[in-house]
Amino acid sequence: MRIRLEHVTHAYAGSDVSAAVQVLDDVSLEIASGDFAVLMGASGSGKSTLLNLIGAVDRPVSGRLLLDDVDTSSLDESSLTMLRRTSIGYIFQFFNLIPTLNVFENVAFPLSLAKMPRSEIKSRVAEVLKEVGLGNRASHFPNELSGGEMQRVAIARAVIHRPPLILADEPTGNLDSKNGDMILDLIREIHNSRRPTIVMATHSERAAAYGDYVVEVADGKVNRGSGVGSRVSEKEPGLAPTPDPRLPTPS
Amino acid sequence: MILRALVLRPIFREVQRTALTILGIAVGVAVVVAIALSNQSALRAFQESVDAVAGRANYMIVSDAGLNEDVLLKLQPFWEKGVRFAPVIDIEGMAEPWQQPIRLLAVDMLSDLHFRDYRYASVVTSDEKSAATYLAILRDDSVVLPATFAKEHGLKLGSPLTLNIKGVRRTMIVRGLLEASGPATAFNGAIAIADIAAAQSTFGFEGRLTRIDLIVPTDAIKSEIQRVLPASARMERPARRNERVEKMLRAFRVNLFALAGVALLVGMFLVYNTVLISILRRRKDVGVLKTLGTSATQVFGAFLVEGLAFGAIGSLAGIAVGRGLAWLILREIGRTINALYVSSTPEAIVLTPGILAAGVAVGTILSLLSAIQPSIEASQVRPTLLLSGAQTAAKKTRSITMIAIAIACFVVAALLSRLPAWNGIAVAGYIAVLFVVAGFSALAPMIVTAVSNLLRTPYRAIFGIVGELASASIPASLRRTSIASAALSLAIGMMVAVALMVGSFRETVRVWVDQTVSSDLWLRPAKGLSNADAAAFPNAISAELEKVPFIAAFDRASGRGVAYGDAVVTVASGDFDIAARFGDLPMIAPRSLSEALRNAIAKSGVAVSESFALKYEKNVGDDITLTTSSGPRHFPITGVYRDYSNDRGVIAMDRALYVRSYGDDSITTVVIYLKPGITRDTARRQLETMFGPKYHAFAVTNGEIRGEVMKIFDQTFLITYALLAVAIVVAVLGVINTLAALILERKRDLALLRVLGMSIAEVRRMLVLESSVLGLTSTAAGLAMGYVLSWILIYVINKQSFGWTIAFHTPVRLIAASLAVTFIASLLAGLVPSRLARRIDLASAMKAE
Repeated sequence: MRIRLEHVTHAYAGSDVSAAVQVLDDVSLEIASGDFAVLMGASGSGKSTLLNLIGAVDRPVSGRLLLDDVDTSSLDESSLTMLRRTSIGYIFQFFNLIPTLNVFENVAFPLSLAKMPRSEIKSRVAEVLKEVGLGNRASHFPNELSGGEMQRVAIARAVIHRPPLILADEPTGNLDSKNGDMILDLIREIHNSRRPTIVMATHSERAAAYGDYVVEVADGKVNRGSGVGSRVSEKEPGLAPTPDPRLPTPS
Repeated sequence: MILRALVLRPIFREVQRTALTILGIAVGVAVVVAIALSNQSALRAFQESVDAVAGRANYMIVSDAGLNEDVLLKLQPFWEKGVRFAPVIDIEGMAEPWQQPIRLLAVDMLSDLHFRDYRYASVVTSDEKSAATYLAILRDDSVVLPATFAKEHGLKLGSPLTLNIKGVRRTMIVRGLLEASGPATAFNGAIAIADIAAAQSTFGFEGRLTRIDLIVPTDAIKSEIQRVLPASARMERPARRNERVEKMLRAFRVNLFALAGVALLVGMFLVYNTVLISILRRRKDVGVLKTLGTSATQVFGAFLVEGLAFGAIGSLAGIAVGRGLAWLILREIGRTINALYVSSTPEAIVLTPGILAAGVAVGTILSLLSAIQPSIEASQVRPTLLLSGAQTAAKKTRSITMIAIAIACFVVAALLSRLPAWNGIAVAGYIAVLFVVAGFSALAPMIVTAVSNLLRTPYRAIFGIVGELASASIPASLRRTSIASAALSLAIGMMVAVALMVGSFRETVRVWVDQTVSSDLWLRPAKGLSNADAAAFPNAISAELEKVPFIAAFDRASGRGVAYGDAVVTVASGDFDIAARFGDLPMIAPRSLSEALRNAIAKSGVAVSESFALKYEKNVGDDITLTTSSGPRHFPITGVYRDYSNDRGVIAMDRALYVRSYGDDSITTVVIYLKPGITRDTARRQLETMFGPKYHAFAVTNGEIRGEVMKIFDQTFLITYALLAVAIVVAVLGVINTLAALILERKRDLALLRVLGMSIAEVRRMLVLESSVLGLTSTAAGLAMGYVLSWILIYVINKQSFGWTIAFHTPVRLIAASLAVTFIASLLAGLVPSRLARRIDLASAMKAE
């Protein structure tokens, strides 16, 4: 999925107009389909806001944000919901698994929302769980898993519906370095095999090295650097994924 | 500072939750205050009337069989010792043609001024105030009325007024009007004052008195006076009458308060839940504050203040609402008291300091009590922030403890149900109810988990992932949801229990009435059953009835309230030989009605109602002592029969014995059995033509009587349902409150679901489904609790309070309807907070913790 930001400005409302906090200031940026972009910046630099805008969680105050050729700033709430449901996968720093569902159910969640037949859900989840190395943990609940395992479940959930865009917000921020590396390897593997566009926000230089390039975010501005990571050479050509044709598409 | 951080600021930030909690307590307190106010008003009217009629008398001489005026002669020597006495006829009658009950107070107009103040507004004619004018009041046909009563009925000086006193109808002339003071204020002004000598000759009370009012300067003289009294008379303070009525109404009032208590109990759950939710939500803050050096006591105090604040504000609001509510229910309570106990017109609602204080105290103390346990829990939060492991371990031990507590509660409840009544009140029964409620509340978390798990598969099948999440999220927040569920279960449980009790009672009464009212027609001197005591036929009607060709037999019923110990019971009379041949009274012992009645005739004995037998522990073969006109007399009991007409107890005797014992031959109802070949309608028309004009008689068919009984029954229980509906409202408020709190607490989780692709509509549907899980859980638990509670209500509380045996009967439609209503209410409860789903900030899910 191609991402294009055109003169995007975003601010959070304060108690009055003068108190509004400007987070992004006239940002223009393009991330090509199939890229693995890394957003880097200090706390409060605006990288999470940028991720929220790209992830259709929030809408820019001004400017345009296009996912492929769809302008998300003009979509209504239900279209944004459908876009998130079908075309975007999310990986969070704190995993954000649903505590009342077990591993299988957590991973199956996006497919259940799309009302996919149960038999198909079953085979697809089994396949993805095997891929992330948790084939034997399907019936466990999140509180019975380690941090690394929880993040692997989150990754499985993010890819189960084969979204063309995966967003990762500090995916290793809550893990030790060994587990962190394992997760980054997994994300990279997914990128290599399925070619989704990946946008990952991180503080860590080590994590940033897994991406194709780095986008520096500072004081509400972005600066696309060349910063090619050590593993980029492993990048293999392939086709960018398209959303599952059986899933509903955003209007 | 601690208070501000933990309690005050959050209270103001979460206005909706604060408001719902206060509303819950306010409704609970309002119901209790309303019951107290309307009870007080209904009874105060009676008490004030008694006081107004008693005037300055500090003693009175009374007899259940009436007094002979010779007693006055015996009192003469005491005049010199400063004793003042006034002969009185104080009797209920009917004012025709309005068929309005009126009190006839006949006194010695001249000497009575020692006792009562009469302020005449006008006498005969206002401009002619000679002695002759006043003497006109003493004429045989004179009557003095309160000006208000006269105005209401369009009566003026000189107007005729027909009174029917114990079957004697006389047209009197209004010769005086009284201002509203003293006796003129009694019975809401429905009182007619006449000279005693005139009343005695006009209404056939020659030589007889109802009572003698006394002013006794010192108690020392009391025993001297008692010595000269006949055996049938007793000397007592006027307040005794009020005490007897109060005692008679006690079980009825306690029952109403117990029902009002349900709403309050549900309100308590609400406070408990609110404070608990506050604590769970601010656990982290408490941890931080404790890390910074706040003591456990300070934390405990802060949360206790929260409970106290909710209680105090809720109570004050409740008192205001309760005052309004009292107006609404006063009419119902007044009607029940009138129909079943004493004639009394409810007065204006007066908020006394006592009720005000009680309202505040009840609401505040209960809120404080419910806040204690969660406040202790808050004070024990450790100054570390990660408690998940410790909590899981604690939860497991808690389940076992809770099961043990529940079993212990049920065992205690079972033991309590076996204890006898205390002072006529089923105290142990009421406490047993509380233990059953406590037992079910202890089981609530397990019931919530079990029902949610059961629902998971069908919910997933029907509603997909939304249904699955909904059924899973309720047990996930067990501590909050189980309390809301317990509160709703309690309200539903009580509703089911009362529906079962009332349904069983209604069915029992219906069967009883069908069996008992086996005659063809009743001839009555007034319409409606509740005026029964006020109107009567003279005995002369008997001879005329005997001449009616189509009557096979008739049974003349009559009765009166008499003092029995420190209570009032009804002595009823009828023609036992007729009842034995034609009647069909359900007997407890012996099985045969005719055997019981014929024995009664032979041995000059009585048959007693089941409630009398139970209350006074009497049975066939025992003796009872009643004060008759010839003094105390023993009557052997020859039968015990089922009766649901009143709960104070009935002693039935043959008419001949009754007339001998009380010197009263008036008739309140004639029960008529027709000869074959005549229809009831024809007989009814003919009887009304024959007896209508002369005796103001109405003939009613047995069908109408049955209908009237069931109507009174339904009216009596109307307020019961209203009170339970209030409890349900409070419980639904609890569900709204809990769900709203859960949504606020799960904002991040809900935002996550939205980010992962759930639409607002799906989130809302999920929240309503969560509410339905709570509703179904509470309905299941409430139904089970209801059956257990109904058993206690029917076989313990009802039996001990009123002495009635009720056959268990499930009113299926009523229960299904109540459950449907409460389930829909719980669904609606989910709709309110689900609106919050729209306001969820999605970016919050992306933020780091």
